[in-house]
Amino acid sequence: MMEDGLKTQTEPFPEDHVQFEAVLKELRELPEDDLEGKLVVSGFVDHPYGEDDQRCLECMYYLVHRKWCDLPELAVPVEPEWWCRLWRI
Amino acid sequence: MANLLWLQGGACSGNTMSFLNAEEPSACDLVTDFGINVLWHPSLGMELGDNLQQMLRDCISGKIKLDIFVFEGSVVQAPDGTGEWNRFAGRAMKDWVQELSDVSDFVVALGDCATWGGIPATAPNPSESVGLQFLKRDHGGFLGKGFKSKAGLPVINIPGCPAHPDWVTQILVGVATGHAGDVALDEFQRPKTFFQSFTQTGCTRNMHFAYKVSATEFGQRKGCLFYDLGCRGPMTHSPCNRILWNRQSSKTRAGMPCMGCTEPEFPFFDLAPGTVFKTQTVMGVPKDLPEGVDKKGYIKLTGAAKTAAPQWAEEDMFVV
Repeated sequence: MMEDGLKTQTEPFPEDHVQFEAVLKELRELPEDDLEGKLVVSGFVDHPYGEDDQRCLECMYYLVHRKWCDLPELAVPVEPEWWCRLWRI
Repeated sequence: MANLLWLQGGACSGNTMSFLNAEEPSACDLVTDFGINVLWHPSLGMELGDNLQQMLRDCISGKIKLDIFVFEGSVVQAPDGTGEWNRFAGRAMKDWVQELSDVSDFVVALGDCATWGGIPATAPNPSESVGLQFLKRDHGGFLGKGFKSKAGLPVINIPGCPAHPDWVTQILVGVATGHAGDVALDEFQRPKTFFQSFTQTGCTRNMHFAYKVSATEFGQRKGCLFYDLGCRGPMTHSPCNRILWNRQSSKTRAGMPCMGCTEPEFPFFDLAPGTVFKTQTVMGVPKDLPEGVDKKGYIKLTGAAKTAAPQWAEEDMFVV
């Protein structure tokens, strides 16, 4: 899906916990098996993002050895060079 | 023999409950082995009514020597500075506190409410609560910045919600046995022996902190609680993971984030919705970083740590 150029919602980046929580709420409302919806709402891109070149690799939710996003609302396989707007360290 | 008097202001008795659970030494050891004479305590004192009032007056007049005055709970000054919302033994508690502090060799503030004002002093603070010598981080409190007890020491602050029982009894023993001079205090008048290290010191999840593996939900036995669940262990001064609770555990060992209860700002963010058990971030970076670490260094460290993280750090190692 990512390779096929899926358009996702990269902005706005949640600046604080309130905005972060709002994105999580949106994710929780999706059907559990709606992978595309999850990718769109969380704003996934398959390359580093932003002026600091943020990547999944540095994100607290990224499990290096499983290449897995451990954020309960996502729980999807990811690549270290990807990024989403739920990025946190 | 050292005479000890213990009173409670705006308090929940949590520190009393904690104190009665002390083991090293125990509350009984204070009396039997270390020569402390408990003149009165809200849960242990025998005197009532007029007899108690007379005893308090005798302490103030000097008829009974007061060596250690322990105060638990905030000093309630409402309404309008009168203190009438917290009356005790015929008058405002704050008036007893002022006069007893003036005549005591040592004054000990026990628990967050007595040290910094604690939960009663949380905005909007309707009870006009203050700590004995601090209000949150502001030096002064009820007794004033310049207050010194008769022995020449400021108020000895033993914070915590509650304070660990052994912090209390060990400091009381030190003071009662003439070693108060050996008790070095930090900038918030906390004994350094307990409050120089961090809650994180000795945390069983330190490996997960180092490799940046986060616990993302309560109940997970792997992962650090700092990144997502609001743990304040890296910025909180306490020995909770060195001097264990009930001799065997601590909040973080049980999977509960440290709430920073020994720090003056507790409860943090005035308990605003969404601030408890959730790490506060600004653009994805924690608002409060481990003490002494800057944002730039933290980001660099994160990249390096994640890259180096071993596989076991991602797995549950605490198998039954």
